[in-house]
Amino acid sequence: MFFRIERRLEPAESPMAIAIAMGVAILFALFLGGGLFMLEGTSPVEAYGSLLQEAFASVRGFGFTVVKAAPLSLIALGTIVAWRSGFGYLGFEGCFLIGATATAAFAMQCGEGGWFGVMHFGIFIPLCIAVSLTAGGAWAGGVGLLRTRFGGNEVLISLMTNYVAILLVQYLISGPMRAPGGLPQSERMPPETWLPFIMEGTRAHAGILIAIPAAVLVWVLLRKTAVGYEMIVNSMSPPAARYAGIRVDRIILVSACLAGGLGGLAGMVELLGVQHRLVDGMSGGVGFIGIVVALLARLNPLWVLPTAVLYGGLTVGADAMQRSTGVPSSITFILQSLIVLLVLSSDLLRRYRIRALGVSVSIKGST
Amino acid sequence: MTIQAAEETPLLEMREITKRFPGVLANDKAFLSVMRGEIHALLGENGAGKSTLMQILYGAYRRDEGEIFINGKPVDFADTAAAIHHGIGMVHQEFMLVRPFSVVENIILGLRNGRSPLLGIDAAARVITELSNRHGLVVDPFALVENLPIGVQQRVEILKLLYREAKLLILDEPTAVLTPQEKAGLFAVLRSLAAAGRSIVIVTHKLHEIMEIADRVTVMRDGRSLACIRTTETSESELAKLMVGRHVELKANKEPIKRGLPILRIEALQALNDAGRLAIRGISLEVHAGEILGIAGIDGNGQSELAETILNLRRPIAGRVLLDGYEITDLSPSAHHARGLVYIPADRRGVGSVSDLPVRSNAILGTQRQRSWMYGLLLDQSKILTHASELVRRFGVRTAGVDFQAGKLSGGNLQKLILGREIMRDPRVIVVEQPTRGLDVGAVETVWAELLAERDKGKAILLISAELEEIMNLSDRIAVIYEGIIVGLVDAQGASVEQIGLMMAGVSEKAGDVFPN
Repeated sequence: MFFRIERRLEPAESPMAIAIAMGVAILFALFLGGGLFMLEGTSPVEAYGSLLQEAFASVRGFGFTVVKAAPLSLIALGTIVAWRSGFGYLGFEGCFLIGATATAAFAMQCGEGGWFGVMHFGIFIPLCIAVSLTAGGAWAGGVGLLRTRFGGNEVLISLMTNYVAILLVQYLISGPMRAPGGLPQSERMPPETWLPFIMEGTRAHAGILIAIPAAVLVWVLLRKTAVGYEMIVNSMSPPAARYAGIRVDRIILVSACLAGGLGGLAGMVELLGVQHRLVDGMSGGVGFIGIVVALLARLNPLWVLPTAVLYGGLTVGADAMQRSTGVPSSITFILQSLIVLLVLSSDLLRRYRIRALGVSVSIKGST
Repeated sequence: MTIQAAEETPLLEMREITKRFPGVLANDKAFLSVMRGEIHALLGENGAGKSTLMQILYGAYRRDEGEIFINGKPVDFADTAAAIHHGIGMVHQEFMLVRPFSVVENIILGLRNGRSPLLGIDAAARVITELSNRHGLVVDPFALVENLPIGVQQRVEILKLLYREAKLLILDEPTAVLTPQEKAGLFAVLRSLAAAGRSIVIVTHKLHEIMEIADRVTVMRDGRSLACIRTTETSESELAKLMVGRHVELKANKEPIKRGLPILRIEALQALNDAGRLAIRGISLEVHAGEILGIAGIDGNGQSELAETILNLRRPIAGRVLLDGYEITDLSPSAHHARGLVYIPADRRGVGSVSDLPVRSNAILGTQRQRSWMYGLLLDQSKILTHASELVRRFGVRTAGVDFQAGKLSGGNLQKLILGREIMRDPRVIVVEQPTRGLDVGAVETVWAELLAERDKGKAILLISAELEEIMNLSDRIAVIYEGIIVGLVDAQGASVEQIGLMMAGVSEKAGDVFPN
């Protein structure tokens, strides 16, 4: 026997071990993806070069990366709040759309000749945040209520509510909110309501400036407050939570509303930062990819932003790679899926070590 | 074989058995030797390696090193079927019976009647009746298991082994669920089996039972077999010393009682269990300041439901709970805490603590909203750290630190953490359920001493325990619970084990009639 794989007594838990395991997983995904490029007759080195170049090394591309990262981080934060309270919410597509719709309804009245008229941006933005938070929070809060009142399964219900929201938006933009013209879409938002760009010569908008404090606030909530403590206890052991006098139902409702609110905020950011109109399919799966980002960040709010930037960059870079090398876009989706799959399974690496001829080769950890 | 050459060959011999689990050396060159017709006790604290050794013998675990001989021949059991084939049988602590099946169906379960496609129930029933008559294991072969009391279910488990012609019977903590009377019956059966040439290993940590029933005893500690001694040549205190590694005194030193005013009053309380059946059928009790009221009873007679209902973790369907004369029946659990009523649940890992959180976080479980932990709106980690460190120090919780995961503490240390946490809230009433279940002798001493200290400080304590020894040692008054009602309330002084035992079995104090099921 030249080598054997041994189970560790305990998984290596040091940040170094986690980083190395993730790095190995990403490299392995790129390696597997490279095989697909070769089938297409493209050089993997060239393809990956253009991916990284566009996503992180060019100002314009990085601007796009930031644009992608903002809603992703907000949805990832919502996922963390829900899941860290023991509320298995999956309805962020819905929250995103409902938040965007409410923002659109409000912002449309904030231009020249609207009900509210043009207001100072410093007043408009907090109001907008409140509107989208409330709308998304109410949407998810309904699911929370079904769970706490009637014992409904929040996973199933929240998935179903996504379709309700998608169809609701389709109805609104082909009916009451439809703008004149051939396409089913709403009027363009008044330019006074658009989020300002924050990087010269790019599309990067101020949405990321909302996501950064949101991440810090979620971290403070979960790590530093009694409510956060109760949320975490509830997710880990509902019987212990009840024993400790925690009002479990209320904790679930609070976390549902907060998670949905963050999802709604993501919709607002996308509407006022990128689309500027309510259009069909504007969520584009961000409500699910945000969950993936949360998982990749190991449900740690402070890891959400870097992870969202990386993941957003991957999307932007993949588009660029497709343009420059002509590989089909399905390959980039496969690549993304591989990365998610392998990173999530990289925990396995931390549980085992390889012994070869008496020499131990393993990720350095605390054990 | 040379060692035993002069004597008779033992039925079973296990030599230098070593078994490693991740992070633990469960068995370290352990040995065990059992003669034909012998009752052999395997004694040790939790985690001493008794269970592992028995699981290896029964084929459930593979040993890493060592040898096993049956009748002098080396054997190697790949699985439990192989062990059964060699005449080894085991009665687990949790019975492995199919409850809606009859006794005979349970006994022949998994056995083929030759090549016949028929079960041959009647023939089997005749064999069972014959076996049960011979060994005093009275049981109706056609009774459904779910209708049988625990003690009779245990007989079914033993009959199952006899039917399979087991030569060596392993009984894991066989007396844990029995009343004193049932225990006496079991011991008579075991003696009869030994006299008929079968060998019996009983796994236990109860010293007086070993002295009563066993011929020889093997003491285990830290995975090693320390000694194999004849019970006629040893004493309880010597065995205790061997088992724990130091001198222990398992007698609680009780101050004379200074009973104060009644604090907790329960009136005609009724509650359902999780299955929706009436578990508490009208219980009234009064607990005074400065006394321990013990609730004795066999597990599953409504004890947990009673504790949960007092704390309003379970909604009562009738009756009242009063603290100092004020009704608190419908107040939230946290309002109970705020009024000085605390609860130490039987399930330490699932309810009393959060296993995945560190000791420090568990130290504030239940008091997380308390003002004194706060710095403005935020939890002040330095105050929590101070509190957790004091808790660990004052109650002697052995932990690698306050950031150590609570779930990785031993049972005794986790219990000290929970008990200490609740005591440090300076309560007026402590409801404590099975406080020493599964704990080491050393931890039992600490927990008992802490409870008595609280009693002497004038706290009212409701002690729910299935361990009669614990009830007798700590209580000032003893109430016996049977099928959701209190069948007797006696003063601890002058109460006898027999009297309590009869009541635990449902025989009432005065008339002596059995309560209806």
